[in-house]
Amino acid sequence: MIGTWLLVDLSAKRTGMKPLISVKELKKSYHGHDVLKGVDLDVASGATTVVIGRSGCGKSTLLRCLNGLESFDSGSITVAGATIEITEKKHRKSERNFQKNAKKIRSNLGMVFQSFNLFPHLTLLENMIKAPMVVKNISRAEAEQNAEALLKKVGLSQCLGRYPSQLSGGQQQRGAIARALAMSPRVILYDEPTSALDPWLVDEVFQVMKDLDAEGMTQVVVTHELRFAREVADEVVFIEDGEIVEIGKAEQIFSQPRDERTRQYLGRFL
Amino acid sequence: MNSLLWARVSLLAFCVLGFFTPDFAHAKKLRWGGDSEGGAPYILQDPANPERTIGFEVDLVAALAKELGIEPEFVQNQWDGLIPGLKRGNYDVVVNGLEITDDRRAEVSFSDPYFVTYEQITVRKENFDIHSLADLRGKIVGTLKYALAERILEQQGGIEIRGYDSQTTIYEDLANGRLDAVLLDQPIAVYYGNPDKRLKSVGKPVGQMQYGMAIRKEDKALLGLVNAAIAKLTLEGKLREIYDRWGIWTPMLADYFNDPSPSRPAVEYDAYIKAMGIERGWKEKLQQYASYLPLLGKGAIVTLELSALGMFFAVLVGLFIALVRLYAPAPLGLFATAYVEVIRGTPLLIQLFFIFYGLPNIGIKLSPMVAAVFGLALNYSAYEAEVYRAGLLSVPKSQLEAALSLGMGRLQALRHVIIPQATRVVLPPMTNDFISLLKDSSLVSVITMVELTKVYGQLASTYYDYFGIGLLTAAMYFVIGLPFVRLSRWAEKYFSKGRAGIL
Ligand SMILES: Nc1ncnc2c1ncn2[C@@H]1O[C@H](COP(=O)(O)OP(=O)(O)O)[C@@H](O)[C@H]1O
Ligand SMILES: [Mg+2]
Repeated sequence: MIGTWLLVDLSAKRTGMKPLISVKELKKSYHGHDVLKGVDLDVASGATTVVIGRSGCGKSTLLRCLNGLESFDSGSITVAGATIEITEKKHRKSERNFQKNAKKIRSNLGMVFQSFNLFPHLTLLENMIKAPMVVKNISRAEAEQNAEALLKKVGLSQCLGRYPSQLSGGQQQRGAIARALAMSPRVILYDEPTSALDPWLVDEVFQVMKDLDAEGMTQVVVTHELRFAREVADEVVFIEDGEIVEIGKAEQIFSQPRDERTRQYLGRFL
Repeated sequence: MNSLLWARVSLLAFCVLGFFTPDFAHAKKLRWGGDSEGGAPYILQDPANPERTIGFEVDLVAALAKELGIEPEFVQNQWDGLIPGLKRGNYDVVVNGLEITDDRRAEVSFSDPYFVTYEQITVRKENFDIHSLADLRGKIVGTLKYALAERILEQQGGIEIRGYDSQTTIYEDLANGRLDAVLLDQPIAVYYGNPDKRLKSVGKPVGQMQYGMAIRKEDKALLGLVNAAIAKLTLEGKLREIYDRWGIWTPMLADYFNDPSPSRPAVEYDAYIKAMGIERGWKEKLQQYASYLPLLGKGAIVTLELSALGMFFAVLVGLFIALVRLYAPAPLGLFATAYVEVIRGTPLLIQLFFIFYGLPNIGIKLSPMVAAVFGLALNYSAYEAEVYRAGLLSVPKSQLEAALSLGMGRLQALRHVIIPQATRVVLPPMTNDFISLLKDSSLVSVITMVELTKVYGQLASTYYDYFGIGLLTAAMYFVIGLPFVRLSRWAEKYFSKGRAGIL
């Protein structure tokens, strides 16, 4: 990776008006193929932002850049006052520096994956307490207490001792959300959280996300479920070909999209 | 003659006192090397009590050591590695039927000959055509590989030579018709050919060879002492007495030592023949096998120690190499890859020789046990590294990403998420490797370790019983391996927790 990662803690200067996540001029390419072509995006604290777009348009890449699972070519990402920035090809800084900064950004972000990614060798409860104990040095008793409360909230109180293989897809995904919450993040990122689920299990997961929205959790959700976008999203972001085509309030996007490409994508759904 | 010898003895003793090397002067023991698998009458396990090592060379060294005023200490070493072991300093003298040849003289010094012998032709009782070397033309003749006899047969030409590794089976093959004749050192013929009622020795002595004690070239003082002692033992008739007892005194020796007196009873030979020839009922046979158990048990413990330690270090190093290969920056990763390819691509036997006999050249001298563990660990670490690499790669990348996105560092993710999952995948091939290492550990007998397979060789060559003792040894290997197989089954189950169907 060529470029400079700068981590600037701006928390002291933070004001209530500042967005919780701010992405500026984010560019990313794979072997000369531009996947993100300069993305600018602000996410307000407490908002649920839904990202939509065709397969391959760069939605996952955007989320993965946000929490440092993927490096990028240029631009900056600010989360809760901490920034990683790549100013183009000036200095060469070590991979270690990147990992360090990514880790700091990640401490405010939770991530929920399409394939759940629970740890199969651990029970649901152990899945919940592993990271708090390892990363935050929280005692087992405290971590368990916290975990039990969260599992109750997502309706999995009966499943503490079960292994992921003994849970339905919907239960696994709710567990994964609870696991992310156990690290008390400021934001949760979802990458197509219901795409791997049987249709009748989709709603139980969305319900959890709706509840979180109601509680004021900041969420960024990549999904193809436009119904959910219309119902829950504060803002909808439509991406095509690595560029944000349109950002707007949900009711605006779904009733009168400004861009022709958005209109085409939403098609029948309008 | 006698006065001449005396003069030589006193002269040598005088020289020696003047040039006593500090090395040897401080040694409390006469460390001598030999191979107890070499068989009767040289060095062998006592058939009447397998825990004792006997043989005419054992008696000879005992007499020699007494003469030098120190205790003898026998060091077991593979016969064809006796000279490298000497040069390496595992022992200070080799006494084990080592013929004095120019090739060997280039490497080490030899004492004056302590024994002179020849090659003996042996045939079946009913054979009346073979009386000399010339009669062997067109016949199938058995001998030991690399022995003088083999060279003599080659020079003779027109003979179909069968080279054997061990003398015990040669005479059996002659008796049952696979061979037409056997040409071997006379003492071997006396102990392995003559006792068989179906065989007879024929013809005149073939060739002549002299056994000498090999000593490092720089140990001039020791050489002087040994020569003086041999001369004294010869003069006092003690050498002769030993050869008489073992029944290997020949006209050729009488000539060489200029001692025409008649032989005395061959008590050791008789005892040996008696011990070997005992007709045993099944009860005695069982007792006999039971009497091997302490020796085999000792060997098994050595094997177990070697294997467990070897595997322990192989696992540690292997895991480290696998992690470096997968996660370290490119140059380190390349180094790890090269390590695996080089170690995996060369035979364990060569590695053991290199570590034990090669490294002393650059000043690293390891004890046999350390060298053996080092060799096994080195070799198997390469295999383990590959197993672990495959195991780590079998855990989907999404697991690492999930762990990272929960705020774990890479090492934390490895330790708490990746490795526990990889362990399940890795256990069956690891168990395989351990069992394989257990068996490969038999190779370390080439660097003087006496482990289970070596004990088997010693016992089997003493009793001509490769079958019964072989079964016993195989059973011991199996029994050693079994607990590990069980342990691994249990561990596999433990680490499979959470997998569909296994709870
Ligand atoms: N690791 C990668 N290497 C090369 N190309 C990639 C990689 N990951 C994603 N891409 C490409 O980047 C584009 C965007 O991918 P992605 O962000 O996964 O799209 P989405 O999530 O919107 O379906 C696709 O064309 C995809 O083929
Ligand atoms: Mg995607």
